[in-house]
Amino acid sequence: MPNATLSEPAAAFANEQRPRSMVYRATASVVVFALPIIAFLLIWEVAVRLGWVDATILPPPSTIVRRGWVLLNPSDLGQSILLAHIGVSLWRALISFALAAVLAIPLGFFLGLNKTAYLIVSPLLSLLLPLPAVAWTPIFLVSFGQGDLTIVAVCFLGAFFPILYSTIQGVRGIGRHSLWVVRSMGAGWFDIFRRVLLPGALPTLISGLKLGMAHSWRTLVAAEMLAALSHGLGFMIFAARSYMDVSTMFVGIVCLAVIGLLIERAVFGSLEAVTIRRWHGTGKLGSNR
Amino acid sequence: MSVDTARILPLRNGAGTNPKIVAKNIQKYFGNVLAMEDISCSINEREFVAIIGPSGCGKSTFLYLIAGFEKASHGELLINNVPITGPGPDRGIVFQEFVLFPWLTVLRNVTLGLDIKGVQRQEAEERARKWIRLTGLSGFEDAYPSTLSGGMKQRVAIARALTYDPEVLLLDEPFGALDVQTKNYMIQDLQNLWLEANRTIVMITHSVSEAVQLADRVLVLSSRPSRIIADVAIKLPHPRDLRDPLLRRHEDEITAILSAEVDKAMSLERQASAKAERRGS
Ligand SMILES: Nc1ncnc2c1ncn2[C@@H]1O[C@H](COP(=O)(O)OP(=O)(O)OP(=O)(O)O)[C@@H](O)[C@H]1O
Ligand SMILES: [Mg+2]
Repeated sequence: MPNATLSEPAAAFANEQRPRSMVYRATASVVVFALPIIAFLLIWEVAVRLGWVDATILPPPSTIVRRGWVLLNPSDLGQSILLAHIGVSLWRALISFALAAVLAIPLGFFLGLNKTAYLIVSPLLSLLLPLPAVAWTPIFLVSFGQGDLTIVAVCFLGAFFPILYSTIQGVRGIGRHSLWVVRSMGAGWFDIFRRVLLPGALPTLISGLKLGMAHSWRTLVAAEMLAALSHGLGFMIFAARSYMDVSTMFVGIVCLAVIGLLIERAVFGSLEAVTIRRWHGTGKLGSNR
Repeated sequence: MSVDTARILPLRNGAGTNPKIVAKNIQKYFGNVLAMEDISCSINEREFVAIIGPSGCGKSTFLYLIAGFEKASHGELLINNVPITGPGPDRGIVFQEFVLFPWLTVLRNVTLGLDIKGVQRQEAEERARKWIRLTGLSGFEDAYPSTLSGGMKQRVAIARALTYDPEVLLLDEPFGALDVQTKNYMIQDLQNLWLEANRTIVMITHSVSEAVQLADRVLVLSSRPSRIIADVAIKLPHPRDLRDPLLRRHEDEITAILSAEVDKAMSLERQASAKAERRGS
């Protein structure tokens, strides 16, 4: 019977898959994620070695890795140049992000709840939101000069508006019936905030934080190129141009990309996993449950 | 929860005579739209009142006024002889659209009222579990609302309101999403609760048989802008048998009033739109 021959290996496959399915799925997702990147790097390497592109403009991945290794200085990480650059950049981006979040979230709740204030502020906000924060750098350079203050101020602006905007939208998106439910149970303002406003706005708020961090990270590079006195990945990339050190530039670019990815996946990914993905586990396009 | 109704009924002795909720010439505008023209009624303590009327006539709005969520444009609305100024824990509501919190499990949704009151967690859970059991949700305590069916969500909303046990229960089509069998069980439980706990209940429904089976009085509203066009007292002991000829007579009476009202509204509507069309072309 053709049916039997078909279903037998299928059943065996299903049996084999079940006990290991967690590990299997995790490995599979890593492979699926990494494979296109590895393939891309291989093609790049081959293309440079065969001389299709000029190695002084586009160094092959192997050269970039070797350069990164030297900059990392693994034998004495305390003296590692690369780690120092990464550390300073991370510190700047995170402090600006944290400041922006601390100010934008309460303000966002206020504007989301107060219609008059929202009407006054929203035209301003719609002008400031799409404005790239880097544009402010020269202005801060004039008043603060080169250095951390200017960079942090610019990154702060980059993170502030997306967080503010998402918080407002998150609060405004909460149905009034939800508020009515807890108010009819006698909830005071603190209970209303804690039990409805905060969790209700959280999904949008988290994507705002994600966006804010991404903007802060992006703005950072440009601000560091323009305003850093020493250190920072942006500074490293920009300084390398004086020596035509293209591989150092690429080391910087790779670090920026990888760290950006890690922040998004590790920090916000886990934040989402314990909140919105648990609440809305099923029934959404793109959910895998 | 098995209640010896024969024993309790004489004790309960029907609805009280003190007015609990009094509405005097309530009028409600939404912008320029007149939703309620003139609603006056008095709902006594421990009375079970059903409100029935065409879709869009202002039934939910009336419930929101009593709950204190909305303000009347004109008229007076009193509870215990005091004007209603806002929502309060003496009035609990089951919304037509359930309004569950997606970030809370079924159990936490149901205990919400008690949590806000500051009741000990263990006691809150005990009281919640009783209503989770009676609404047939056992085993789903830790599920999130997004994984429930429409009818299950509605039962969570009912359990939530019953668990925190307000003096006045406002129910907006509380059985709308349920199948007939489940609905019959819930009607039984609601009757028992009401007989046992002496609550005042205002229930909106589209089902005449539901109304006559449960209520002491059925208010029939006209189509928008709404007035009360009939106030039918149903003086039959509980629990009621739907096949009781007296009950059937009430059911027929109310159905007749309601369909006459809907027919009138629909023909007016059609005339108006036909006129508008003629004017347009
Ligand atoms: N917030 C609002 N803004 C404007 N109009 C409203 C608002 N709420 C209700 N209305 C209008 O008031 C009328 C009554 O609405 P309501 O929801 O009370 O009807 P209902 O009797 O509960 O209807 P249904 O049986 O379909 O639930 C409707 O015409 C509706 O359009
Ligand atoms: Mg309604």
